[in-house]
Amino acid sequence: MPGFKQSPWVLHYDASSCNGCDIETLACLTPVYDVERLGVINTGNPKHADIFLVTGGVNPRSREVIRNLYHQLPEPKVVVAVGACAASGGIFRECYNISGGVDTVIPVDVYVPGCAARPEAIIDGIVRALAVLEDKHRAMAAMVDSIDQTLYGLAERRDVPEILALQKIAYQSEAELYGDDSLPGLQETLPEIEAEFDRAVFGKAVVNGKIIGSIRGHRDGATARLTRCTVHPYFQRRGIGRRLIGEFEKSWPPEIRRFEAIAGHKSTRRIDVYKSLGYRPFKTVPFRPAIEWVHLEKPRP
Amino acid sequence: MSPWLRVLLYLVGAPLAGGLLAGLDRKLSARLQSRRGPPLWQPFFDVKKLWHKENIVVRRSQNYYIFFFLLLMVFTGALFFAGNDLLLVVFALTLASIFFVLGAYKASSPYSFIGAERELIQIMAYEPMVLLTAVGLYLATGSFSVQAIAGHPTSLIRSLPGVFLGLLCILPMKFRKSPFDLSSSHHAHQELVRGLTIEFSGGPLAMIEVAHWFENVLLLGWVYLFFTSSPLLGLAAAAAVFLLVILVDNTSARLKWPTALQRVWLATLVLGFGNILVLSFR
Repeated sequence: MPGFKQSPWVLHYDASSCNGCDIETLACLTPVYDVERLGVINTGNPKHADIFLVTGGVNPRSREVIRNLYHQLPEPKVVVAVGACAASGGIFRECYNISGGVDTVIPVDVYVPGCAARPEAIIDGIVRALAVLEDKHRAMAAMVDSIDQTLYGLAERRDVPEILALQKIAYQSEAELYGDDSLPGLQETLPEIEAEFDRAVFGKAVVNGKIIGSIRGHRDGATARLTRCTVHPYFQRRGIGRRLIGEFEKSWPPEIRRFEAIAGHKSTRRIDVYKSLGYRPFKTVPFRPAIEWVHLEKPRP
Repeated sequence: MSPWLRVLLYLVGAPLAGGLLAGLDRKLSARLQSRRGPPLWQPFFDVKKLWHKENIVVRRSQNYYIFFFLLLMVFTGALFFAGNDLLLVVFALTLASIFFVLGAYKASSPYSFIGAERELIQIMAYEPMVLLTAVGLYLATGSFSVQAIAGHPTSLIRSLPGVFLGLLCILPMKFRKSPFDLSSSHHAHQELVRGLTIEFSGGPLAMIEVAHWFENVLLLGWVYLFFTSSPLLGLAAAAAVFLLVILVDNTSARLKWPTALQRVWLATLVLGFGNILVLSFR
């Protein structure tokens, strides 16, 4: 066993509401309850945490924060919604600015009841979350062993923020490759990518509900132009990108007779993936002093 | 004991002893706060878990620096316990810390930068005293070789009380304890967001933790060096210093960096330099 049960590190975020559950959560750390005896550490850093503990209902301000924190927690991770407000909006449910419980933003694994939730109930919730954590780790280990369980499909509008986050992670290695932090893939903003969603088709590779790969394609007559093929660094070199491109090609209507792909001239791994799928480079276009776009093409089989 | 055997013992024993010391630290800190505290083996559970976590990075290269931080920390300890040149140990230790700072800088996030800058200030604060310790040990024994210093017939604490006290002043900094835990601390989760280590997760974070265990064992070895004529007294002194650091950690607040720098340099000047001045005129 990898020891998740003995060492749960908790990230605690109060989304809104009366702070009652917030205070009871911190009471768990005091000498009376002392959750550290179970190995719990209350971290202030999502990248160190295993359990995301959220109190309070969700409002438009906290929605983005919750989503952002959730995506920064390393896998395997568990979400615990503490108190009535975090479960459903509670007493604030009818308020103009409350959109409901935490599960309206991110998937929740454990609900702790109460208004305010008692420290005993919160500790019980954490202990229950540990079992979920173990299960998730087992599923993740199995997933890495048999990456075939990855699901490929077209992205929806609600996937766009996650794809942008993935793109920013995956393009870091590209930025180092070209010595340029201003690559278009890194500079793209949420409104820009959302506008792009109206013009282009987005493909995604999903594992365990998390998007680990994405690609986008623009239609130009009988040609589909594929760009921004990204795979999460953790899952690279496992054939995900290859499968993603292959599945994405299949999703285009039959009148598309030719595929064109664009990659930076130093991204040899990306170019090799395209070449192995039958693409042939036919022109290079200078973009910046440090970057040239390599255009590859392939007739539809 | 041959040097190779000692190095082998260090390589096997230091992570074990360092982890247990870290566990003892958390247990004692909890008892001082009238809590029960985690089990003694808790640091091992933590590291084991971290190995199985996803490794999220800002830049992949940040992890190479952490790998070298761990490697150099192990190397430094091996040099020390093999009885090699003390100056070499000092410089290797500094190089290890610099790799850690570079790793934090590579992660390019504001909190990480603050942690790295504070760590540099800390290095600036404690490095003179570390060098003076090596100089003091040389003046007292006539050699920089750890083997020769350890083989000295009299307890060095008699001729180097000031240097020893000066070393005590900088130890909380090296152990990352209050009042000098400016750059990263085991307790400062909320306000420092773990400083230097903020952008590290999974395996690299485990490596940082293990490197810290190696470092702690090395530092207690330094304390032992002042009492080598009677090994029992030396072990007792190392244990006492460790307990003192935990006690001070739990009873003092964190200082601002200018205050920390001033106090450590003042202690270095008065205790360390004063002691060496006396030695050189004798």
